[in-house]
Amino acid sequence: MTDVDELEVRGATRRFGGLIAVNDVSFSVRRGEIFGLIGPNGAGKTTLFNLITGVTKMSSGQLFHRGEELTGARPHVVARHGLARTFQNIRLFGGLTALDNVMIAQHVHTRSGLLRGVLGLPPTRTEERAVVQRGMELLSLVGLAARHDEKAANFSYGDQRRLEIARALALQPKILLLDEPAAGMNQHEKAGLSEFVRELRVQFDLTILLIEHHVPLVMGLCDRIAVLDFGNLIALGEPGVVQRHPAVIEAYLGDEGAVA
Amino acid sequence: MLDALRSYDALLLQMVVAALLALSLYLPMMAGQLSLASPGFYALGGYTAATMSKGVFAPPADGSFPVSALLLEMLAAGLLSAALAVVVGALALRLSGIYFALATIAFVEILRVLSLNLNITGKAIGIFGIPQPFGDKLSYMWVALPLLIGVMLFVRRLERSRVGRSLLAVREDQLAAASMGIDLTRTKVLAFTLGGTLAGVVGALDAHVLNTWNARQGTFDRSILLLAFVLIGGTRTYLGPVAGGLALTYLPEWLRSRAEAGVLPSWVSTFIDEGRFIIFGVLLTVGCIFFPRGLITPDLLKRGRRFGRRKQQPRPDVTPDASPGTPVTRGADA
Repeated sequence: MTDVDELEVRGATRRFGGLIAVNDVSFSVRRGEIFGLIGPNGAGKTTLFNLITGVTKMSSGQLFHRGEELTGARPHVVARHGLARTFQNIRLFGGLTALDNVMIAQHVHTRSGLLRGVLGLPPTRTEERAVVQRGMELLSLVGLAARHDEKAANFSYGDQRRLEIARALALQPKILLLDEPAAGMNQHEKAGLSEFVRELRVQFDLTILLIEHHVPLVMGLCDRIAVLDFGNLIALGEPGVVQRHPAVIEAYLGDEGAVA
Repeated sequence: MLDALRSYDALLLQMVVAALLALSLYLPMMAGQLSLASPGFYALGGYTAATMSKGVFAPPADGSFPVSALLLEMLAAGLLSAALAVVVGALALRLSGIYFALATIAFVEILRVLSLNLNITGKAIGIFGIPQPFGDKLSYMWVALPLLIGVMLFVRRLERSRVGRSLLAVREDQLAAASMGIDLTRTKVLAFTLGGTLAGVVGALDAHVLNTWNARQGTFDRSILLLAFVLIGGTRTYLGPVAGGLALTYLPEWLRSRAEAGVLPSWVSTFIDEGRFIIFGVLLTVGCIFFPRGLITPDLLKRGRRFGRRKQQPRPDVTPDASPGTPVTRGADA
């Protein structure tokens, strides 16, 4: 049973009225893989992320994590299964400090209830110290430890993206889903991001799914890539194969007539 | 000193009750839920205390009424309100934003109309002659003040605990909170229940203070008044609703006393009496525009603390803004 897929999406479909945003998409992600999801704007990449994390309900289809069915599970249940995500349009707890953000994400790994928390009894204090320490470790991992007391909303765009990754890691996930982590970064930062994602995989024993527009980054970083176009999975495979796939070339460049 | 306080006993109690009820609105707001249900639970708590004190705890012929009975009634009112809040919360919190707020107004109205028509609540007349555990009004402070301080400490600690942080996370961003493993429904119902419980307990106390209880205690007007306390006082720290409740209860009385003393013209006193909802309405509108988070905000308190520290340890060679050590040391106990 060791080679059960880390994540399996089976026939995922999502209709919004007459629009089919994701159409019968099936793929599986192996443990420890960096799996890229690419496609033109409006291809359904983020919708697919939302289907996986339970934010949007599937119209039909199934979802499995290590053989366990997660179809129709609500977001917090999916999160408790070890799927953590970032958002394309960054959703931090803006009014709270950076440290609060990473402390909140440790919610499912801590126990103290209402009364114990309010009374601050010794077990809670110990737990609280551990949560702070873990939070600071994650903040220093993304280089924000010195600014732990600042409001998340006051951070620059790039720092917010980094903080969001730290927050996702605080959930101690098995699968990390990154929605356009390189958006708004310059060439230099993008190169650093590749390295960072690889390090994360090793350090936290993660399987990583990422949506990205920047093709060179995806090609260099991912073990396998799935290509979506108008909600359909048009290609799946290693970067080199996907890159030469006629359907992919057509989706990105238009058909030959348009190019000529 | 005591005599001076005694002449203001009713007002002082009113202020403490206002602060407590404002906190009962603040608790659901910690999870981002605008609940106006507090007066409903407050009324329920009052009726609970009124019926219990005239029933089970009916005082003997000499009229003495033990304080322990009052405390038991407050406990019963709290439990009853909590039970009702869980049910109402689980149903109403399926709605979000303004629709939830409307549902809580409907809840207050339903309870009000019920109490106007049920025999057990004394219909329109209400319940009067509620037994008094204390010889004078001011002595109620022995219960009211510890309750206020206790609740303030509770909320203060809550804001720094795991459960409290989950409330704040839901307030800040529901989708992100859920994606971090926080059960939204559970968290919102919890916040709503905490607020409802507190309002119920306060109602039980206030029924004795006021000596009489009727359907006018839990009304929509009251909801708006409490909302004004919180929105003007501050929605981001527990000190906001407390300050709002205390100040906005004291202020109209003070203005009225000024008017009566001839310092202000008499139409002012009439206006304050008749038109306090107009004043609060204007304050709410102006407040929402210029102080969307109320007058007392965490940032303000932070600045205050920093200022206090600077005064204690003057460092003439370093300009105040360039003290890089400050934020780090402060975070250590956060």
